[in-house]
Amino acid sequence: MKEISIHFTVNGKKVSLNVPSRKRLLDVLREDLGLTGTKEGCDVGECGACTVVMNGRAVHSCLVLAAQADGAEILTVEGLAQNGELYPLQKNFLEYGAVQCGFCIPGMLMSSYALIQENPHPGEEEIKEAIAGNLCRCTGYKQIIQAVEATVKR
Amino acid sequence: MIPEIEYLRPGNLQEALQMLSEYGETARPIAGGTDILPGFHINSRRFRDIKTLVDISNLPEITAIREANGGVYIGGAVTFTDIVKHPLIREKYPMLADAAAQIGSVQIRNRATLAGNFVNNAPCADSVPPLLVYDARVTVRSLRGERHQPLGEFLLKPYRTQLQPDEMVTEVFLPPLPAGFRGEFYKLGRRRGVAISRITLAVLVKMDQRVIEDIRIASGAVTPIGARFPELEAQARGKTAEADFLKELAIQLGEQILQRTGLRWSSAYKLPVVQQVFYQLLRRICQ
Repeated sequence: MKEISIHFTVNGKKVSLNVPSRKRLLDVLREDLGLTGTKEGCDVGECGACTVVMNGRAVHSCLVLAAQADGAEILTVEGLAQNGELYPLQKNFLEYGAVQCGFCIPGMLMSSYALIQENPHPGEEEIKEAIAGNLCRCTGYKQIIQAVEATVKR
Repeated sequence: MIPEIEYLRPGNLQEALQMLSEYGETARPIAGGTDILPGFHINSRRFRDIKTLVDISNLPEITAIREANGGVYIGGAVTFTDIVKHPLIREKYPMLADAAAQIGSVQIRNRATLAGNFVNNAPCADSVPPLLVYDARVTVRSLRGERHQPLGEFLLKPYRTQLQPDEMVTEVFLPPLPAGFRGEFYKLGRRRGVAISRITLAVLVKMDQRVIEDIRIASGAVTPIGARFPELEAQARGKTAEADFLKELAIQLGEQILQRTGLRWSSAYKLPVVQQVFYQLLRRICQ
């Protein structure tokens, strides 16, 4: 089996490991690092459930080879809460009932997080655009958008 | 499933070209991976022979946007997010920025690259119609040398270009656009986000009072590959942009599309839509 050695930062921690070169970032996060918050959905970049933030940008971890993440800074949903306290975005998802089955939520959070990092005060259209690549089959999106709006409102 | 592959990460363009030359047809450059990895996953025939991936996503030689020779050079591995954000492209080549902004989703645009889009050469590749009306030229490099070619010649047929296994598209040149051209890009998908285009049109017109001095027309998704319409363009030059003539032009666009694609199950829907949309685009641009 062809292996490659990768070194990257995941949720602030430096990680080094040898992985088969066919593994995707998604596989390494879930199988090798036990970070199962990142979900495997469609595997072809249509559902957004596997979204993580890589070097400040939202990406599909199912469409990035683990080897391509070498040297990168990765943030997954597990990295949002600090010192046992939920990130404001997460609190508002709970507050606004944005979570039903929950499968899309890690991806929704990471897409929203990447948006807010780049644009701290997005409008409704910008929020919709940021999560247009994340499918939710339960909520109808309204509560998710409200939760993001509540987070960026000052 | 991703097959057993070898992953190589060259440190610079020269190394990448050496790898492609050495491994030949079993190697493929990978940048954003947004076509290759889904292709692996669905076991697409187009990607079954790949044994080695050469990661070109971080090569400095092909990830920059620079202004030169009156136009703009865009590196082959520049992402659509970078294109959307680039002030010069937004200002001088707005239809490319507009098309780029509608590709896939934020996650796709953050990874997918300009050259990847047209080297894959899907009929629905959204960057192709705007690149064609801007008369884009591609720079292709290999250890054997460098060649430059208009994009329209480089693209051969669906999923086929003139790119050889040892070659890589390093840059796309957008020449300066003569003053006075105005244009619009149009995309129709089944929904707005993450949509495979059903119809794309890119139209550039230069008016002299009420007369169409020059016009460039390209379509995607409704033609086998993104393509220009030279006969239609020649026919429109020098004509007055009256409603009747624009309607006639729209009818003919539909007929030419039908000639190129043949009758499809979707023609009954798409043809009148293409004609109506094209007519409305012309009305707006020629005002």
